[in-house]
Amino acid sequence: NNNWLNAYYDPVAGIYTFPSCIALADLNSDGDNKLVIADLGSGLYKMTLKVFQGTSVVQENALLDLPTGIVSVYMDNMEPRTPGIVVASGSCLFVYKNMRPYYKYPLPLLPVNEAEKSLWNAVRNGDVVADALTAALSSLKDEIYASALTSQTLRFLQLESRDEAEAFIESHKNVGLKRETVVTCLATMKKSVAEEDAISCLVAGTEHKEIQIIDSEAFTQLKSYNLPSIPVFINVSGLYDVDFRLFVACRDGKIYALKKDSTEYRVCIELGSQVVGMERIHKHMVVATMDKAVSCYTTKGKKLWSLELPANIVCTGIMDQKAKGFKALMVGLDNNEIRIYKDKNLVDTLTLNDRPQAICYGRYGREDSTLVSVTSSGALNVHILKRTAEYSEQSGNQGQLNPQKTKLNIPKKTQLFVDQTVREREHGTEMFQSFQHDLQLIRLQAAKTYIHGLNSSITPISDDPDIPLKLNATVQGIGPVFQMMVTVENTASSTASDPKLVSDLKMMFKFSDKVYTATPRIFSLPPLVPGIPYRFPIRIECIATDQPAQDTVTAVVFTRSKPKPIVTANISMPVSEGVVVV
Amino acid sequence: IFQAMDLMFMALSYFKRRKFEESAELCTKILEKNPYDQAAWALKARSLTEQVYIDEVEAEEQGIAESVMDDVSVAQVSRPGTSLRAVTGASGPSPAVRPVSQSGRPLSGFVRPGTQSGRPGTMEQALRTPRTAHTARPVTSASGRFVRLGTASMLSSPDGPFINVSRLNYSKYAARPNLAKVLFEYIFHHENDVRNALELAALATEQAQFKDWWWKVQLGKCYHRLGMFRDAEQQYKSALKQQVMLDTVLLLGKVYQRMDQPLQSIATYKQGLEKFPDDRSLLVAIARVHDEMGQLDDATKWYKDVLETDGVNVEAIASIAANYFYTDQPEISIRLYRRLLQMGIHNVELFNNLGLCCYFAQQYDMTMNCFDRALSLAEDEQLGDVWYNISHVALGIGDNNLAYQCLRLAIAADNGHTEAYNNLAVLELRRGDVERAKSLLRSAAELAPHAYEHHYNLATLAENAGDLQTSYSSVLKSVAAFPDHMDSKNLLKTLKQHFESL
Repeated sequence: NNNWLNAYYDPVAGIYTFPSCIALADLNSDGDNKLVIADLGSGLYKMTLKVFQGTSVVQENALLDLPTGIVSVYMDNMEPRTPGIVVASGSCLFVYKNMRPYYKYPLPLLPVNEAEKSLWNAVRNGDVVADALTAALSSLKDEIYASALTSQTLRFLQLESRDEAEAFIESHKNVGLKRETVVTCLATMKKSVAEEDAISCLVAGTEHKEIQIIDSEAFTQLKSYNLPSIPVFINVSGLYDVDFRLFVACRDGKIYALKKDSTEYRVCIELGSQVVGMERIHKHMVVATMDKAVSCYTTKGKKLWSLELPANIVCTGIMDQKAKGFKALMVGLDNNEIRIYKDKNLVDTLTLNDRPQAICYGRYGREDSTLVSVTSSGALNVHILKRTAEYSEQSGNQGQLNPQKTKLNIPKKTQLFVDQTVREREHGTEMFQSFQHDLQLIRLQAAKTYIHGLNSSITPISDDPDIPLKLNATVQGIGPVFQMMVTVENTASSTASDPKLVSDLKMMFKFSDKVYTATPRIFSLPPLVPGIPYRFPIRIECIATDQPAQDTVTAVVFTRSKPKPIVTANISMPVSEGVVVV
Repeated sequence: IFQAMDLMFMALSYFKRRKFEESAELCTKILEKNPYDQAAWALKARSLTEQVYIDEVEAEEQGIAESVMDDVSVAQVSRPGTSLRAVTGASGPSPAVRPVSQSGRPLSGFVRPGTQSGRPGTMEQALRTPRTAHTARPVTSASGRFVRLGTASMLSSPDGPFINVSRLNYSKYAARPNLAKVLFEYIFHHENDVRNALELAALATEQAQFKDWWWKVQLGKCYHRLGMFRDAEQQYKSALKQQVMLDTVLLLGKVYQRMDQPLQSIATYKQGLEKFPDDRSLLVAIARVHDEMGQLDDATKWYKDVLETDGVNVEAIASIAANYFYTDQPEISIRLYRRLLQMGIHNVELFNNLGLCCYFAQQYDMTMNCFDRALSLAEDEQLGDVWYNISHVALGIGDNNLAYQCLRLAIAADNGHTEAYNNLAVLELRRGDVERAKSLLRSAAELAPHAYEHHYNLATLAENAGDLQTSYSSVLKSVAAFPDHMDSKNLLKTLKQHFESL
């Protein structure tokens, strides 16, 4: 690619992260921006917060729970201006400053259900035993939502054996009940000044359908909103002290708008598909959805345009070149591309070695235009935008497809064809009569053969309405030993009242004794449930070793009550390979 | 006087008249009298060899081991149009018009070793016998198949083998070129003992100071059989430098095909054509390579060149006829098939094809006649194809009942007739028996995972029934089998919308 320099590529960085867990920040206020990645580790353990400087990891801090978002935020007015890193993980916000743990802010606890509280109180007093507690709690769980119970209760209900339950009660009965929530997404909002390094407050969405705005100086909750669904992406505009507006994409596929002066929400956009990424470019919202579409909406919720992309969208990001006043949308696609869209024009495409899982554009080190991407294989890429790179609106090849001009490949009519039509015209009657005559003969022959087949049941499909069976077989192998896979299926359509089982059937194989042996040669079929193919492996061995042999094996399904077989399949065996002596 | 005729002369005479058994018997008699008669010994070896001789150029079949564990081809993922393994950059009609074989290659108009099998994608496909082939693949080409094709080493002779290969002193024979060549052919063709043949050839070529091209070609053949294609290539090239022989060119081209370099193979044949202009075997070889690469237009062009020099080449006529049929000019196919008929070829396949061509070229009076003849000639396994073709005519004239009967008969005759299963399923669906239609489509999918029709039909059926998951998995298979199938792609799009919408 012409516009990007490949600055660093580590295919074995082993990073597992998402776009919300990646940030670029000047952690030491020395003008040398670091890359901060909250690594999800294996997804279960080894979660770490990694700080990259240049091409190496300079610091790693272990995280207790899965990170859901990180932001860098200025928390005070002290010089030098050092930002803190806030990591949302579990029910807490962890604040790091100067790359050291600085503060832990647990989100406010939620009220515990009264019935639940009284049950655990009774346990503490020894009034209730484990079994009774289990029964009472699970009925409580059925009554109200599971998310309204504490994690202690939910864990207790997951326990399987009685011993475990008793041990759990013993160890937890003196612990107070807490109902915590989990942070799902995190964003920042400038407090009173719109400067680059002004103090910001934090905006967090929680699993309990809440948006909380938290002051980053004193760590107090400034405001909270309730939503009808669980937030996944937050987009902020404005200042907290003046006026602001939040756009929150939720798991129900809707985007809600929240305002400063009211606690009510407004449904802003209803999407047809789940949101993959939501960015704000100037005054518009650009939303990437799971149906491969990128759509642009006004803040009022009016759709301006929509693009269909060639592959599934994995992640989105904003490319903001402040010096050039250029702001564009970056989209990471399933086909290993990162595409850059200026409005709805494709201006650049960067192809990686793997699927980009998280992308982040900004200042890294001393380079202003850096694109950091983490792929799904865990590789870390750093690309630098060349200073000569020019993005104009026209550079994209978004032109309309040419109308179809391909000619259909129909051959010219040959002289031969014309001659034949002449013949047809002249002898039409005779030809028709002769055709009809022959057709009648063929009809007769087909009907005769067909009725013969039905009478002697040599067809692999039975027409008996009581026992509608179908039999077919494939042969695998090269001989002398073959594996024959025989498939029997009951083709009746079952109803709930009448399952139409077919039972008491047997299968048998007929072949020349001198050529083959089969094991098993005869066996009973299980009762056949309609619509399920039953496969039986049969071992067929060719015993005629002196000459290459090929014969037909006939599979027959029959039942005791009928003298004739129900279905028959003739399987012509491949020529057997001789025994190879090595 | 007749009694007194020289036995050796008689044996030679028999040999010339290709009465090899008699010739060998006489030689045995001579050898009984004088075990050291070299002439008799050589003649007997030659007679025995000639009895089982097969043309190395034609008879090659890839075994399972070669095709699945292929380690000689240059690139695993090749550029379009440069490989035999994946048919890309094909020209000619799409799979919607011309059916494909198990390897995804258009069906050829002429059956020859290798046209039915191709390079399988999976082990299971390799193990399974293709419907139209009716002989399984050999394990490796170095083993049993050659035993059956052309050697006598399996047949036990009452008084032990003529030559005990394991007790021969090769260096002694290698020094005597006239005996060595006979002995080599005996070991190679009659005993099928490639290792010993290779040893003899290596010694002999050394004795000849690497100046005899014949030995180099034989060495190449041995290496080829042993799967050492690079060594074989080297030997053939070296032989060609000394003496350009048709056989060598053909063998070298064959080696390139085994190394999955069809373009190189074609280039070799074309070089051969400069030396041997308009040679039939070279032209046919080029046409075959194009055919295998799926470039049917090019293949047809070369087959036409073949016909210009050799007007009665069955393979060329049949291939061109098949191509015309599938490119919508059945009237020309009729001409070509009729020519085959005039040449005295009189078999089921020909009548079967002729019947269908007549029907599509609107020569209705001939159609049923041809099918009738095909039916009376057909064996069980061919019967399936004949009934299947008649069902096409029945569908064309709107007689669904006859079509249904024909398809049922096709399946009864040939339990693995996938196309019949598919068409029967559609007819069953029209009759309203959804369960049976589904079951038939499932068996078709099991029998022939390489074709797309039944996958697509099953997907449509499942989609109508609301079973999106089954529909999705089937339509994926259909798209894999035929990537350009528009209906499958549309269905896939609809399904994706179903999955994505809230």
